[in-house]
Amino acid sequence: MEFTILFLATAVAMLAAWRGPRPLALGLSGAVLIGCVATYLHHATDTLKLSF
Amino acid sequence: MTQARAITLNALSLYAVAAVLAAAYAAQFILHELPCPLCLLQRILFAALAVGPILNIRFGPRPSHYAISLLAAVAGAVASTRQVLLHIMPGDAGYGSALLGYHYYTWALIGFIAAIVLIAAMMLFDRQFEEDDAMLPATGGAFAQIAVWLVIALTSANVATTLAECGFGACADNPVVYELLKRAA
Repeated sequence: MEFTILFLATAVAMLAAWRGPRPLALGLSGAVLIGCVATYLHHATDTLKLSF
Repeated sequence: MTQARAITLNALSLYAVAAVLAAAYAAQFILHELPCPLCLLQRILFAALAVGPILNIRFGPRPSHYAISLLAAVAGAVASTRQVLLHIMPGDAGYGSALLGYHYYTWALIGFIAAIVLIAAMMLFDRQFEEDDAMLPATGGAFAQIAVWLVIALTSANVATTLAECGFGACADNPVVYELLKRAA
């Protein structure tokens, strides 16, 4: 589910960059990056699975 | 480098991101290889690379726009490096099929490193950051607009396909079916 939300947030950030205010686009992009790092750390600290 | 030329190169970079997302879809739908969680994270970070060029096309090139893409590229390089290291032991067949001898995550690492180098190279040209509004079309012209909408469409499509693959729970470590379609069947 977190990946769907991150894709959605990225699409919204792109739309904000193209049609919305610049601070919103920058803020959303920052939020996406923080979300990606959090997701990465969550998975990286799980039990190591080679299929992952 | 003038602003107009920088914007053309930014539009080209959007086509490159679109090509990467389309290639990932080709592996998913033609080879029927569903992306793993770490693969999805790399896709998201490839898509996040596109926000900087979109901002550059609309508002003109600024260092902060390049910085957003640079941060996404570094995060993507970290994620793909982890996946390369997960499969680096001798005898490990890797995840998914290989393309020209390299698995997708290895290509992703090469792509993210190339993005870091190219963004840094673009930022060497100071003249693009000077006020030059008279030369700029409002939104970069048709070439840039098509690139922007192409990359937005591919990212939006990924929202739907990721939801179909993972459903409303955690994504499987080694996905082989679309969770949402399995529930519907």
